[in-house]
Amino acid sequence: MKSVLVVLLLVTGLFAKEAVLPTELMAWKTLSFVNTAKSANELSDASLDLNKASYVGLINTPKIQYVTRPTNEGGTVSYGGLFQIEIKESGTYRVILGNASWIELVKEGKSAKSVAHAQGPENSGIRKMVDYLLESGIYTLQLSAGADTTTAVLVTKIK
Amino acid sequence: MKHSIRALLVLSISLTGLSGESLSNTSQTLNAKIELGRRLFYDADLSINGTMSCATCHEQRRSFTDGNSAHPGALGDQGKRNVPGLANVGLHKNLTWGHNHLSGLAEQALAPIRGTDPIEMGMNGYENEITKRLSQNGCYQKLFSLAFSDQKGAINLSTVTLALESFEKTLISNNSLYDQKMRAKQPLPTKEAREGKKLFFGGAKCNTCHSAPLFSDDDFHQIQPKNQTPNPRFKDYGLSDVTGDMKDKNVFRTPSLRNAALTSPYWHDGSAKTLDDAIRKHDLKINQSMNAKDIQKIIAFINTLTDNDFVTNPNFSKPKVECPY
Repeated sequence: MKSVLVVLLLVTGLFAKEAVLPTELMAWKTLSFVNTAKSANELSDASLDLNKASYVGLINTPKIQYVTRPTNEGGTVSYGGLFQIEIKESGTYRVILGNASWIELVKEGKSAKSVAHAQGPENSGIRKMVDYLLESGIYTLQLSAGADTTTAVLVTKIK
Repeated sequence: MKHSIRALLVLSISLTGLSGESLSNTSQTLNAKIELGRRLFYDADLSINGTMSCATCHEQRRSFTDGNSAHPGALGDQGKRNVPGLANVGLHKNLTWGHNHLSGLAEQALAPIRGTDPIEMGMNGYENEITKRLSQNGCYQKLFSLAFSDQKGAINLSTVTLALESFEKTLISNNSLYDQKMRAKQPLPTKEAREGKKLFFGGAKCNTCHSAPLFSDDDFHQIQPKNQTPNPRFKDYGLSDVTGDMKDKNVFRTPSLRNAALTSPYWHDGSAKTLDDAIRKHDLKINQSMNAKDIQKIIAFINTLTDNDFVTNPNFSKPKVECPY
């Protein structure tokens, strides 16, 4: 029975449609693990690199102290987390996420306003993409109101 | 807001003829219900996985809509209908796009919380989980005790939806530019808006269904384009899905045009991206005779129905974390 299942999985894998990703999303295909912060104090151990996709764990919401209160902070049974990322030059940046968590990019206590929202290409594993106009500086990426204990995240410059 | 609460109090006082002490208690109870309802409105613990509150789809800055054609549910199910705005929702007899016998906002709230067509907040069969989650919060314990002392502070789906109703009834929008000018008996400031108003209440007959002051007659009409492409997401026949009567097929409630400039997209399925699209989509003879300039004038008038006080009123926004009591 087990061997039948393995064969089935292999066949499914062979014939599964692979998403065609545009150039700016190619980094999504390679994931590396990054720690998740529960509060601002832990952010130095939860750094994301621009253009590198990360696999991250998410934390039960009541255990998180957000830098600023998220617009959608999620209920007691939801998940979220904090990360930091350095933006070296101003421009339009895209946050790409594997689940439907609420996204906020915070700098000096203020949340950046999103300028565009989209879903990912079919079969890509990308659940949502949100664009922001950002100045240079260190930003805190807040994920909140998520349903999952893990997700993948990528921040990339698009303009 | 103050006026609306006062109006509710005056209404309850005049109806019941209570003594002074009882009046004070009534006022406290109503205020506690409103505060509780507001807190619940913004609480994602009303959804199965804690990802979705009422405010997830009903954003104040958009007059309590969300800018999407239809919002997916907490478990990823596709949305069925465009999120309706909540301005003056407590003054409507009929609620939602296609229902004519809901007893009130408390009953209506059950549709997103535990409805299954489609699944929105996903609590069908998990109603006790709401009691469990909210009971763990000390602030909720106090608020439910104050708001529902007659029910010994019971925390359950019934008291949750009654509190939501109390909050939603305070969502009064009556201070748009149009309202201000009407009260002052002054004309609208731009020629285009004045001409649009004349068309709206005159030749274009918009007010036949979008009647002032709600800018909805609170009734149901068939104005769908003929031979339209069926919505690939859902079969939605409007009122007939509730009544089972084929004469109600494709009949939907007239949406209010208050704050319409903030509530795109339009139509029950969100298929009209702009007000221009929405006006042109009405299958009415009068629309076929209107030119682009007329439509722009009507839109200029509709824009005067935007109430910035309503969408920035701090009494309607997400409450502070700290417990008010």
